[in-house]
Amino acid sequence: MFYQTSIKTVCVAAVTFGLIAYAMLGGYFAREIVIEIALLAMLAIALDFLAGYGGMISLCHGAIYGVGAYIFGATTALSGTDPWLAALAAIAGTALFGWIVGAITANVGGIFFIMATLAFGQMAYVIVFESRALGGDDGLAGVGRFDLSAVGVNLNDSLQFALLCVAGMLLAYMVAATVLRSSFGRTLSGIHANEDRMQALGLSVRTHKANAFAISGAIAGAAGMLAAQHTQYISPEYLVWTLSGEALVVVILGGIGTLAGPVVGAALLVTLEHFIGGYTDRWHMFIGAILIVAVMAGRRGLFGEIEHRLSRRSETKTEAGIHA
Amino acid sequence: MLEVRNLCKNFGGLAVAKNISLSLKKGERRVVLGPNGAGKTTLFNLLAGTLTPTSGSIILGGRNITRAPVEKRARLGLARSYQKNNLFEGLTVRENLGLAATTASGRTASLRCCAHDGAEMQDIIAEVAEQVGLSDSLDKPVSSCPYGNRRQLEVGLALAARPKLLLMDEPTSGVGPNMIDAFDKLIHALPRDLTMLIIEHDFDLGFNVADSITVLNYGEVVFEGSPEATRQSREVKEIYLGDWNHA
Ligand SMILES: Nc1ncnc2c1ncn2[C@@H]1O[C@H](COP(=O)(O)OP(=O)(O)OP(=O)(O)O)[C@@H](O)[C@H]1O
Ligand SMILES: [Mg+2]
Repeated sequence: MFYQTSIKTVCVAAVTFGLIAYAMLGGYFAREIVIEIALLAMLAIALDFLAGYGGMISLCHGAIYGVGAYIFGATTALSGTDPWLAALAAIAGTALFGWIVGAITANVGGIFFIMATLAFGQMAYVIVFESRALGGDDGLAGVGRFDLSAVGVNLNDSLQFALLCVAGMLLAYMVAATVLRSSFGRTLSGIHANEDRMQALGLSVRTHKANAFAISGAIAGAAGMLAAQHTQYISPEYLVWTLSGEALVVVILGGIGTLAGPVVGAALLVTLEHFIGGYTDRWHMFIGAILIVAVMAGRRGLFGEIEHRLSRRSETKTEAGIHA
Repeated sequence: MLEVRNLCKNFGGLAVAKNISLSLKKGERRVVLGPNGAGKTTLFNLLAGTLTPTSGSIILGGRNITRAPVEKRARLGLARSYQKNNLFEGLTVRENLGLAATTASGRTASLRCCAHDGAEMQDIIAEVAEQVGLSDSLDKPVSSCPYGNRRQLEVGLALAARPKLLLMDEPTSGVGPNMIDAFDKLIHALPRDLTMLIIEHDFDLGFNVADSITVLNYGEVVFEGSPEATRQSREVKEIYLGDWNHA
């Protein structure tokens, strides 16, 4: 069950402020890193919501992210749709995609669930790859960005765009946290703990799982929608299944079923990638080693471990609500 | 309240329910007896919907639920406790009872409010915890609770659903005499309009709480009658090979 503990609040706030400071003090390159972290964190939050709290380990979240990017990118690039409308379409479309995957896979358990979600992701990839209208293999350029000039924000400025992505990450966290604290979220944790008992108590498990998948899909789709605005270019690369794997790595590294973990994990992974990557091309090996340690040592991930130690020391769970 | 007609269930060639018919009036407390493997749990699975019968019908409160899914039956007021504890592991006793009470009340969809923490559900949690003797353990994780407490919680989850028809599968299995007494008191304190079907291995307890008794053997109803009549039945005595008086 999810509780917005003060440790979570502090950690998410610390990463957020760190990202803002880095974006403001650093140059263009720093802002690229901040954007990468924020969008990966959003995707990982979406996945942790579903996997960590609902027990549904999806391997199609990368594809959902890509579908979000494509709906936004294709509608703005091909038909010049208003970016706000396109964003709404991307979020609604990915929610629907998630809902369908969730409804179909609701009765599938364990490894077969993982494979089924992977298959859905691959289907989306192939459809995009083969589609001439969507630019096929070459992708599409000319993707728009939000127009925030009315409030004095220029998103063509790298700093302001980076800050938008950080805001997106924070919003994704707050939406996920609010839902997890609600009746819906508690019920989702109940399914995770004992699906059969929930059904015996009168819950339509399939519907609930599908709805959870839809919410998670919408968050992943929102991340993809921002990613398309970032690069202003979309290609099937956005739907490649390895992104789903990367999201899962982030969730495990940060701490599955902690929600704050994905934020910490994304910051950690991308930072390592860039800084170790600066010294050696073999950074994957280092990440691999760190992941093995994270999994072996208590299976809690970095944030999970911190939370575990601190909460054992204090033994008093304070519930600070950042979502009023 | 509950009408079961000619219910049959075969697993391949094995008939584990043979032409079971029974009828429970509203508020009736029926105890199901029968030796190991008689088909008692199978009967519960058929009633609750985790198994579909090969033939026959089940009518609950006037509705034919023979093929209705598990959750539909639960929403019509059927709740069950299991022979083997079937809890929400990893959560506290309070969270367990909260999930049961809220899920059964159908308030699972809100994305903003948390009915689980609301006063109404907390009242049910407190009341059920009191009934099953878990008031002092509410904030313990179930994984750290001793077996007896877990058994109490198993029954508590069914009670928290506020059912109209309660199926309990050997609620006192594996617990000591103190807890059997406590369970006896619990049953007597429950509202008289709650219909109950209880599988029980403890005869004294069974006779004590029952309005009527059904005896199953090899998937068949071999006896039905009052506790007094059951005590005196030769047929029932033979099934249990006479070790009945010392039980
Ligand atoms: N899924 C199944 N597949 C095949 N046979 C089964 C299945 N479930 C139960 N059985 C068989 O059905 C018979 C009745 O089992 P059931 O569990 O209903 O008995 P019971 O009366 O509850 O016994 P106990 O007192 O030991 O709990 C047993 O012979 C059992 O082996
Ligand atoms: Mg049994």
